[in-house]
Amino acid sequence: MADEILILDHDKGHANALALYLGRQGAHVRTASAGGEALALCGAKAPGILLADPALPGEDGVALLAQIKQSFPDTYIVVITARENLDRAIAGLRQDVFSCHHKPVGGFTLEMALKNIRELRDLKRKAVRCSEELAEMNRARFFLKQLFDEVPCYISVQDKDFRLTASNRLFKRDFGDKVAGFCYQLYKHRQSPCPDCPVASTFEDGKRHHTEEVVTSRSGEQYNVLTWTAPIWDEEGRITQVMEMSTNITQIRRLQDHLTSLGLMLGSMSHGVKGMLTALDGGIYQLEQGIAKKDEARVRRAHEQIQAMADKIKRMVLDILFYAKSRDPQFQSVDADAFAADLAATVRPLAAKNGVRFEEDAGVDLGSLEGDPAWLASALVNILENAVEACAYDKTKAEHVVEYRAKSLGEDGVLFEISDNGVGMDQETREKMFTLFFSSKGSRGTGLGMFIAHHVIRRHGGTIEVESRPGEGARFRVIIPRRLPKSAAALAQGAEGPAATMI
Amino acid sequence: MSKKILVVDDDPAIVDYLTSFFKDNGYATCSAEDANAGFEAAKKELPDLITLDLDMPGEWGPRLYRKMSQDKDLKNIPVIVISGLSGNQYAIPKAVACLKKPFDRDTLLKLVRETLGA
Repeated sequence: MADEILILDHDKGHANALALYLGRQGAHVRTASAGGEALALCGAKAPGILLADPALPGEDGVALLAQIKQSFPDTYIVVITARENLDRAIAGLRQDVFSCHHKPVGGFTLEMALKNIRELRDLKRKAVRCSEELAEMNRARFFLKQLFDEVPCYISVQDKDFRLTASNRLFKRDFGDKVAGFCYQLYKHRQSPCPDCPVASTFEDGKRHHTEEVVTSRSGEQYNVLTWTAPIWDEEGRITQVMEMSTNITQIRRLQDHLTSLGLMLGSMSHGVKGMLTALDGGIYQLEQGIAKKDEARVRRAHEQIQAMADKIKRMVLDILFYAKSRDPQFQSVDADAFAADLAATVRPLAAKNGVRFEEDAGVDLGSLEGDPAWLASALVNILENAVEACAYDKTKAEHVVEYRAKSLGEDGVLFEISDNGVGMDQETREKMFTLFFSSKGSRGTGLGMFIAHHVIRRHGGTIEVESRPGEGARFRVIIPRRLPKSAAALAQGAEGPAATMI
Repeated sequence: MSKKILVVDDDPAIVDYLTSFFKDNGYATCSAEDANAGFEAAKKELPDLITLDLDMPGEWGPRLYRKMSQDKDLKNIPVIVISGLSGNQYAIPKAVACLKKPFDRDTLLKLVRETLGA
């Protein structure tokens, strides 16, 4: 691009001669012979270079040039003046001029000055462009860093030995930020690489791989994650690292499990429900007949039947509601003496009705427990009722007894021991009894009772043990600790996260 | 002499219901609470009709039916299935009828009368 040059010289002849010289070299040249004229031309179009002689009659040329430099900072000023004016010009314009030369200026000197200006100008432009690019890159880097950190997935970058060379914020939060730790240690608490590692596959074939894994956070919680890997290449196309991105799908999996078992439950339950409805029909029929025939004994029997069926249906509906989690746990301090006595009072009539002797030894200085009394009661009543039913079922013995004992274990908690001499259980029943929908009672069981009992006890940090042999009765030992486990306490405070799902 | 119906069901409330209902309608009844007892009762009482539940602890209803169909005294006794299992018509194809719990007692009575011709 041609230089835009303005020549300011009171000596028009000198100005024109210079203009001709420079014009021949391809520059666009304008000339001015007074300060006002030069200012006007600069205002119309700022020149890239101003060749000026500050010796202007009746004007302060030095001040004028300083003013021009201030108004047009991109204009480079070269002073060409008489030798005797040179020192004054240099002194006055030190910062504002590019170079100073005395008249007559040599062609080579002038060319060098113009060339240096062009180079300086190019360098400056380049520097501006570079700093703009740098700022842009910094913004982009910040943006990428933010993406990396804020993405709602676990991201880690690993080398061939599965050492982490980078990880994002979420990863550091849940799995710690040990620099150069091993993936299998941080994710799975393993001492050696996992089999079928998708990172290893990506190192091998350069393709993306995905797996579903169960990983353990540093606080010991298990998460289901969906993991994708992608290669990271260097300039020569070698895979130097692999990125691993894992999405936490624990809540989805839990919800799925919950829905699946809810569906299973409704399916398997319908059978028990049908039996109960039929028995209820029977009770109503007996009632109708009793009233029609004025048979008071029959009416009374019908009432008993309907009452029993209503109780059963009530319990079952409560079990379903429990399972469907329509009730949040209400943890509180429970007076264990009163609690143990209430349990006995609940089961006593059932035992009497079935001709089963009920031996109690409960309610002396048991202290207090942390827990949800309704849940705990439902769990223990389930076990007690099962004991009574196991006796009622058993036709081989003349006399049946259910023993119920509650005992303090000091700081460790309270032991509830329930034993019976009823039908007992074989190994299969013993092993399966706490699983969902397993019932040994045919159409009379829903398969929910022991599952819920087990669940409630575990939720309270307690344990349940069973000893039994077919024909010889059964003994249940349930220990409820004095204090709730942390996970249950957090649940009660409505803590965030999947802990709020019961199952 | 009135015809005799054997009720096989593991739920005593339902046994009570069915036996009362049949008695009220002029039939003699006997009952059993599982498949084994059902077989013994059938041998002893030789009923004119059996109502059979399918899902009981111990031996299963269909097994009882198979056992009876191999017994010359019992194989021609008509069976009405009364069960809560869905799709129960496939369990015992030769049954006179299959009723689902909770059943309609007028339907049951009609079936019994047609089967026993009284």
